[in-house]
Amino acid sequence: MDQPAKLQLLTRQSGEAGFEIHHIDSDQAYLGYRPRRVERETWEITAQPQSPDGRRNFILKNLRQDRYLLIDEREAFLWERFDGGHCVEEIAGACQERFGDFTAAQIRPVLAKLSEAGLLVERENLALQQSLARNQENLWVIGINSAAKYWRRLAFTLPNADRLCGAIYRCGGFVLFHPVTLVMTLAIAVLAGVAALHLSPRAKQFTQMLSATPWRSTAIILTSLLAVSMMHVTVHALACKAYGRRVRELGFFLLQGVLPTFYADVTDIFMSTRKARVVVDLAGPLVELFWGSVAFLAAYQTGPGLAQAFLFGIGVVLWEGALINLYPFNFLEMDGYNIVADLLAMPTLRQQALALAPELHRRLLHPRSLTKSEWIQIGYLLLCAVSVLIYLIAHLDFLLGLLPSWK
Amino acid sequence: MANIPDILPKVVLFQDLEADSMANLAPLLIAKKFAAGSLIFREMDDSDALYIVERGTVVVSKHVSGDVEMVLTRFEVGDFFGEMGLFDNAPRSASASAETDTVLWRLDRSVFHDIFSYHPEMAAKICYRLVTIFIERLRVTNEQSRDAIRWALEATGYISGAQSLFGRKST
Repeated sequence: MDQPAKLQLLTRQSGEAGFEIHHIDSDQAYLGYRPRRVERETWEITAQPQSPDGRRNFILKNLRQDRYLLIDEREAFLWERFDGGHCVEEIAGACQERFGDFTAAQIRPVLAKLSEAGLLVERENLALQQSLARNQENLWVIGINSAAKYWRRLAFTLPNADRLCGAIYRCGGFVLFHPVTLVMTLAIAVLAGVAALHLSPRAKQFTQMLSATPWRSTAIILTSLLAVSMMHVTVHALACKAYGRRVRELGFFLLQGVLPTFYADVTDIFMSTRKARVVVDLAGPLVELFWGSVAFLAAYQTGPGLAQAFLFGIGVVLWEGALINLYPFNFLEMDGYNIVADLLAMPTLRQQALALAPELHRRLLHPRSLTKSEWIQIGYLLLCAVSVLIYLIAHLDFLLGLLPSWK
Repeated sequence: MANIPDILPKVVLFQDLEADSMANLAPLLIAKKFAAGSLIFREMDDSDALYIVERGTVVVSKHVSGDVEMVLTRFEVGDFFGEMGLFDNAPRSASASAETDTVLWRLDRSVFHDIFSYHPEMAAKICYRLVTIFIERLRVTNEQSRDAIRWALEATGYISGAQSLFGRKST
């Protein structure tokens, strides 16, 4: 690591000849630095439910910049003391007294995190940080970053999403969150299940009819899927409004940088209760369940023919979509995953699990050193791996079909 | 004046001058002695001369706040400073103080202008050397700015880190 930067200061006593020179290391100055958080009315902090380890996280929100941070108990303790009145040395001392082993250097990442979220006063160095980082990159990195930048541009966000969702909610959207709506949706789903079972012996015939017009079938089913997918994220956003929280964004992006997907940014729901988060998570898949059910019932009512085949196909695709969305163990942060993460009070379960994965073999040699949260992360990794494996085995015929020379 | 020829050839500013030019220049310089801790000139003073260090160390500083100044650089034997005063009428941009007992040679702006009038070839050689030294000092200033920024970032707990913002995009 580089030596700390040094600064030389010169002081003169008024009325006296001579001067003194003081050498000040940045490390030494850091201990005397008094971090100050932004004004009280510009942030909000909400305690989250306890994790299985008994730890409590907090969501810290920058109200002015609409940015959120997930911080642990120790970081929340530091945050309380970043009042501009305590220096780093004093804060580190207090933290050591409260939590045991702690050094002033451990405050640096917390400061960086808060600074990045715009929660500290006089820390406008992000542009500089990016500029310094840019200068250190080589041509390959610049090239890859540029390509990634253009790829990310495929994303878009709807302007004034919160206002739009608020208006939809007030103009009738609130009806969706009445208990009667849920009961009716479930009742329709039961009836649709019966209808689907009744129609299922003709599934092969439907497939043949759809295969006869592959382009038209694909276009109609994809359009239905797209329309329902848009409704799905809108209902997530409306659920967020139902709890009086802000919808940050509504738009289209590449999930995990790959999968084109509509999304609603409902981070603000973390300032509400766990129940509210679960409701927001569940609201989306219920849209697929509802429209899939409507498609099955319509297919049941329609006479034999291509229209019936289409309606049955749409019903199958939408119900399957709801199931995939609700299945938590596929390495993707879909609704099912969010529900599990919320119920476990581990909002970053996937990231934690993926961070643990590279050192898993070493950690498993000393199982007693693993915490309850880490066991849950291992469980998540295992279930995801097994699920993906089962999925691949189930589709082995299809995959082999893609490689005819292997047959 | 006996010491002047000893120091002049060591001064980068004059290294392109021939012996006769050196001999012409020598009588134009004025010797000045400063005790350790004394002020040579203060920031915002009138700027009218260049100084060459024959002995001792000079510290150059700039006012920051209250009675605190930031040390910009030090000059030692053979170095020169205050060269901006030869060209413009703006006040001194920094203070210079003797860190140890110091002997300096002073070249006044009026004398420098006379060199331009009466010894243009000699003036051109000095100016060429001055430009190269200006460039070098500008580079050093850039490094100093970078170091000062690094200091400030480190002192306020800065580290470059990965993205840590939290968010949930429901899909």
